[in-house]
Amino acid sequence: MQKRWQVGIAIFILLLAVVYGVGASQMPSETGYAGIGAAFVPTVITFFLAAVGALLMWQALSGGFRNFTDSVAGLAADNLGALWVTGGIMLMALLITKAGFVVAATALFVCVARGFGSKTVLRDAITGAVLVFPVFWLFTLVLDVNLPRLFNDWL
Amino acid sequence: MMETWTLLLGGFGTALQPMNLMWAFVGCALGTAIGVLPGIGPALTVAMLLPVTAKVDPAGALIMLCGVYYGAAYGGSTTSILMNTPGESASIMTALEGNTMAKNGRAGPALATAAIGSFIAGTIGVILLTLFAPLVADLALKFGPAEFFSLMVLAFVTVSSVLGASMLRGMVSLALGLAIGLVGMDSIAGIPRYTAGVPELIDGIEFVLVAVGLFAVGEALYSVLYDPKGENTQRNKLTSIWMTKDDWKRSWPAWLRGTAIGFPFGSVPAGGAEIPTFLSYSAERKLSKHPKEFSGEGGRGAIEGVAGPEAANNATSAGALVPLLTLGIPTSATAAILIAAFQNYNIQPGPLLFQTSGPLVWGLIASLYVGNVMLLVLNLPLVGMWARLLTIPKPQLYAGILVFASIGVYGMRQSAFDLVLMYVIGVIGVIMRRFDFPVAPVIVGMILGPMSEKQLRNALSIAQGDWLIFFKQPIACTFMVITIAVMFIPIILRKRGVRLSEDD
Repeated sequence: MQKRWQVGIAIFILLLAVVYGVGASQMPSETGYAGIGAAFVPTVITFFLAAVGALLMWQALSGGFRNFTDSVAGLAADNLGALWVTGGIMLMALLITKAGFVVAATALFVCVARGFGSKTVLRDAITGAVLVFPVFWLFTLVLDVNLPRLFNDWL
Repeated sequence: MMETWTLLLGGFGTALQPMNLMWAFVGCALGTAIGVLPGIGPALTVAMLLPVTAKVDPAGALIMLCGVYYGAAYGGSTTSILMNTPGESASIMTALEGNTMAKNGRAGPALATAAIGSFIAGTIGVILLTLFAPLVADLALKFGPAEFFSLMVLAFVTVSSVLGASMLRGMVSLALGLAIGLVGMDSIAGIPRYTAGVPELIDGIEFVLVAVGLFAVGEALYSVLYDPKGENTQRNKLTSIWMTKDDWKRSWPAWLRGTAIGFPFGSVPAGGAEIPTFLSYSAERKLSKHPKEFSGEGGRGAIEGVAGPEAANNATSAGALVPLLTLGIPTSATAAILIAAFQNYNIQPGPLLFQTSGPLVWGLIASLYVGNVMLLVLNLPLVGMWARLLTIPKPQLYAGILVFASIGVYGMRQSAFDLVLMYVIGVIGVIMRRFDFPVAPVIVGMILGPMSEKQLRNALSIAQGDWLIFFKQPIACTFMVITIAVMFIPIILRKRGVRLSEDD
């Protein structure tokens, strides 16, 4: 399991290097006085990514990452909790334009609290909704950020 | 020298305006709060508050953001002493002695020596900043693109290799940050790069999104996966904060030594407050007349072991403002985001800052003196109030952090897609945390990368494409040599049994 993850991370970095390399090769090669152009630094970073990716791969395949102690070894990951948090963020993304600000943010609050093991759904909903107003005013009035209305018309 | 004090006096004129005093207070209070709370750090907070730069005038906004940066160093000690869960990694050493003292009924004096030590170190640090910053800025006026580029290379290497357990993993994080930084319009020729034809990407990837994803969502997901209930750390009782005569006698030299160790470390791009706090702790342990009291010896906790590292921590944050203001070089993720705040006002931190925006910069420096006094008041008599923050249950705390974070991200562009992107970056953040990749180099690479490319291309233009320019000019060459030397520091440290982790 550990090894598969570590190899996977190395592959991700190497893939990124490939993507960046392809991108760099398509940039104009005009260089001007400097002798280097817009494609130069992307090329360097491509090689940098490739080099660290290759080293990671080598470490992953020859006994795992160096100087790495698995701080959560043996702990069962709470996937259900993470699912609640994920769901909360997705729900917020889905609801924010549809149902307005209060509903979306409260939904996120309740889901995340549930993910962390809170059993008091109703109390969380009230806490979340009460919290939303000052945060909304802070962002819209003090920070001048545009946010959708607190409630949508159909509510 | 006289001139410096006149300028500083003018700065106080700015800092003491009621509006700016209010911003300083908001920043200090917020900084203390996030320092106390686990799961939310100064880098994330400053990133979330960046929209403030759209409305508030530069002096007020920067005074507040610096207050957050500064206050977080104060607040961190409260959590370490009362809960033994350092709110930030620079407080790990404080937790060692402070929590032992608290367990033995001496939480009050531990908190007091931390707060007073922070005040003394912070104030001395700001005095040194006042004295040195103009000198460094004058010197840096002689820097050309070649010098700046080599200095930035040094910053890259120190931020990514000195911190963290593995130089390779630090470099991977840096490469990731540099790669993200490349997206958008190239600053010299104006050619869009890696935008995949998406017009929104021409301005580059919003780094508030990256910072919030990595820090807030990453932290929340990691926490829910591996530690949903929170460890059952016992909270120590708060006791009277009065220090005995003996406490004072033992704290004084430790505060001063901590400051002397911390400030120089902050002012060179050496990355974070970890090393100076560690050095201060081991110095106190060696020099102490009461070695038996240190927790490592099974003692009841030695007060100098709290006083020294806390002073070092705060002196480091003050010191870090020297390269930030005079050279435009960030030494931590928070400092990198502060640079972005300056850029939002079209102000470029660097040697010219003291000439082009003199009143602003001196106002900012003066506000640090004011901020230190505010923080002392906030943290000493009112420590009980902050300690109460620790009673917020974990589910509601993280729910609140995520609500705040996602509203900030959504507000940038009114785009629900950004929320999904934030989540994806959060997942990357979890994997990075899980496999011990430091996060700070991503942020530093992302912000400093485009700046360094510009310097590189300008340097080479001036030198007509001669790469040896970086070794022909004495100052640039010195930075390059130091860069190479720095790569060996982690190896030496590890041989001595020091394991470092990053500071956000």
